Amino acid sequence: MNLTNYGYAKHVRISGLVAGAILTLCAWLPASAQDSAVYTQCPDTTELHSTGDGIKCKHLSGGDGMVTMADGEPIYIFSFADIPMPEDAIAAGDINELADYPGYVMEQGMLAANAPAPTIEVDEDDELFLTLTNVGMAMRPDLFDAHTVHWHGFPEASSVFDGVPDASIAINMGASLTYYYNVKDAGTYMYHCHVEATEHMQMGMLGNLYVHPRQNKLPDGADLVAAFGDNAANTANGGLTPPSNLAANLPGATSVAHTAGSTYAYNDGDGTTRYDDDYPIQIGSFDKAFHDASYTVQPLPFADMRDTYFMLNGRGYPDTASDVAISDAQPVDSLITADPNQRILLRISNLNVTQFNTLGTNGPPMEVIAMDARLLRADDGTNMYYKTNSVTLGGGQSVDVIIDTSGLASGTTFFLYSTNLEMLANHHDNFGGMMTEIRIN
Amino acid sequence: MTLMENKKIGAGWPRLLLVTVSIAVLMTSAAARAAINGSEGQTFNLYAQEGYVSVSDGGSIYSWGYTNTGTMQLPGPTLIVAEDEPVTITLTNNLPAAAGNVSIVFPGHDVTATGGVAGDLVQEAQNGGTVTYTFTPSEPGTYQYHSGTEPDLQVEMGLYGALIVRPAGHTDLDTTDTATCTKPVIAQGGKAYNHDDSCYDREYLYLLSEIDIHIHQAAEAQASGPGPIVLPAGAYHSEYWLMNGRAGPDSMAADGTDILPYQPYGSLTRMHPGERVLVRVVGAGRELHPFHTHGNHARLLAKDGRMLLTETTNQLAGPLLFTIPSLPGGTADAIFQWTGKDLGWDIYEAGSTVPDPIDTDPTRVRAHNCTDVDGDGYADADADYPWEWCADHDRPIPVTLPSLSSLAFGGFYGGSPYLGAMGSLPPGEGGLNAWAGFAYMWHSHTERELVNNDVFPGGMMTMLIVEAPWVPID
Repeated sequence: MNLTNYGYAKHVRISGLVAGAILTLCAWLPASAQDSAVYTQCPDTTELHSTGDGIKCKHLSGGDGMVTMADGEPIYIFSFADIPMPEDAIAAGDINELADYPGYVMEQGMLAANAPAPTIEVDEDDELFLTLTNVGMAMRPDLFDAHTVHWHGFPEASSVFDGVPDASIAINMGASLTYYYNVKDAGTYMYHCHVEATEHMQMGMLGNLYVHPRQNKLPDGADLVAAFGDNAANTANGGLTPPSNLAANLPGATSVAHTAGSTYAYNDGDGTTRYDDDYPIQIGSFDKAFHDASYTVQPLPFADMRDTYFMLNGRGYPDTASDVAISDAQPVDSLITADPNQRILLRISNLNVTQFNTLGTNGPPMEVIAMDARLLRADDGTNMYYKTNSVTLGGGQSVDVIIDTSGLASGTTFFLYSTNLEMLANHHDNFGGMMTEIRIN
Repeated sequence: MTLMENKKIGAGWPRLLLVTVSIAVLMTSAAARAAINGSEGQTFNLYAQEGYVSVSDGGSIYSWGYTNTGTMQLPGPTLIVAEDEPVTITLTNNLPAAAGNVSIVFPGHDVTATGGVAGDLVQEAQNGGTVTYTFTPSEPGTYQYHSGTEPDLQVEMGLYGALIVRPAGHTDLDTTDTATCTKPVIAQGGKAYNHDDSCYDREYLYLLSEIDIHIHQAAEAQASGPGPIVLPAGAYHSEYWLMNGRAGPDSMAADGTDILPYQPYGSLTRMHPGERVLVRVVGAGRELHPFHTHGNHARLLAKDGRMLLTETTNQLAGPLLFTIPSLPGGTADAIFQWTGKDLGWDIYEAGSTVPDPIDTDPTRVRAHNCTDVDGDGYADADADYPWEWCADHDRPIPVTLPSLSSLAFGGFYGGSPYLGAMGSLPPGEGGLNAWAGFAYMWHSHTERELVNNDVFPGGMMTMLIVEAPWVPID
């Protein structure tokens, strides 16, 4: 990245806002906010959460924008962006009642597309009210595309909230759709737009999404084995995971005490997924020719799609390992830092649309504890975890791996990198691409 | 989608009208659809022939395939055999002379070949000649067969198929077979392996392959010459991605439909809530494909015809996956189930005002009970809607859906968020989901494979339709 191009991206954003304002004027002259198709739904209480705790609301825009690749090149994308709560929202009560709320949403959402899309992080037993407002593609006024959110891997999904446009509904420009998810199963998922999936996903409508287990909320000193150690209790808790076979998984143990504040990846019932810090790592890649064709309103090269930017969380190396914000549009870095004797959870998902990818480490092994948001555990309770220095994922797969930094010297740096070596590049620039650093403090 | 692309979209989706007709045919068909269509028996006469397959952008592609009917087909017949019963397959080479010899290999089986001539991997049939393969399958499961002669050309051209080995003594199961299954199955259900956790209500095949049209064009141009066929130079670059030999949306047309005479196998998947579907994934081409099952996870049961079990306790050890990786030359079996558990709202509609489809009185709304005497959380078999998750019973959907004018609709959307409840849609919308089931796309998550050459949508995709309990599937 360089400052010149950062400036370019910003410039585009500003001019886009002007364009956005014009579009807003044309499309939204509502008599009042209630009439608008732009609105959010976020109840104070529900039957499941009568106090309001556990109700999570998020408002995303679906639209376009510019991001900067690690070789300094700007690239046109479609994606989601967070719509922040307006500052005067609290006084208003229902934000939909605010004067010109639709205009506010459009101004915030237009040309704000993020790479990756904003991270969605919720807890088991939450209800998530996720509103998607389609703010249109400001750079492509010839497009009238609908958008959706597909929570990839949501268990026992209903088709109406699954986001597949062929099988359900999608939201048109200038309107909002609130998705409802009753969140019951921890794990590392992902989300993306499913409209014209080959195009919208290549263009970047991809984000991290993960769910924390209810095991995190146990009181201090509680016995994990007692809490999640039998099938009936686990099933009643909504869990799919068989109870831990302690004799096999933790020989000699009969109980495992929870310490308040400890975090786990899953309701393991034996503490084996405990981690000190977690990092979402989303594999993705862009085909520059495809994005440029979209930007310049040319026919899209589907058959010739060939990715040239290889990324983790929407950036190529060295930007992946920079904890400085590239821009408002690329806020997620992939720098992994740890102290010695820590357990680091990597939530690795793959949402590229062209190939399988292998991520390797040149340092400590990764212990794979889960795939596709499910703990690796046999029906007899035996943990099927395994240690490896590489994981291979196709698009739409995820793994959770834990790196144990015990015995690693302070000041050392390891790499998490694509062993598909041609992907260690940012378009024409060699040494970059799908790689980041694991630094031991 | 740009305005420019409208023309291309137009080339693809009108075929769905044909598919719609086919689905209607399928729905009225008397044929049972609990099991995979194929050729059952112990003795098979296969012919390797040339022909043309149809792709959903309107083209047809020169191909080679195995057949046992005299009409070339892609993929070859799904051979359904039984454990411990000897199988004899006689292959006749009816390919053009330029294609040279042809053969079959059966990975995972100990095959004896008689006749033919020696080849690099296996005995081969010369042009116009035959070769015979015999083997006795020792383990049940999902396998594949394909040409062992110049496979980089012949497998690409279409010489492959699925082989299913049923457990010894396998018969269709029914609801009384609890002695052999951990969980009861519906009538005509089955058992994939000699293991009580491998029982299923319905089974479907998803044989995945791809086409590099340049190779097919080169073969077509040289087929009438003296041979051997010279492959085009350059890297392999596929443009079509097939499920059971068909590119979407043709993949959703019925098995044996007249509109696809050389591609007899569809992959439209239908089930009722609570049923368990055996998913047999076969990687018949040369590429890896992440096969994503919308709707729910699937439990990986076996890979390459071998169950994934714990060593000492003989229990299931495979992962629960939302994306099943399909590997070239490999197979994967998984069990998929969908109930709608824990959605947080009543999928049969709280306080419904929808006429009850099973009642002849059109004024009766489908207010429904959720009787759970056995205490498993689900409505019992004799409840109004078996497998309803009773904790969500009569809970209204917690959000208001946008007005119709704000929405775009899919052809498989039934018009309401409720299972089996058709809603009103603007003219021209919907129509592909006659019983208003919940539709889920099952597809390669390498999304560039959801095209037919340069035309989106299509490629390696099909639909699962979870039908309401009262909808007939067989």
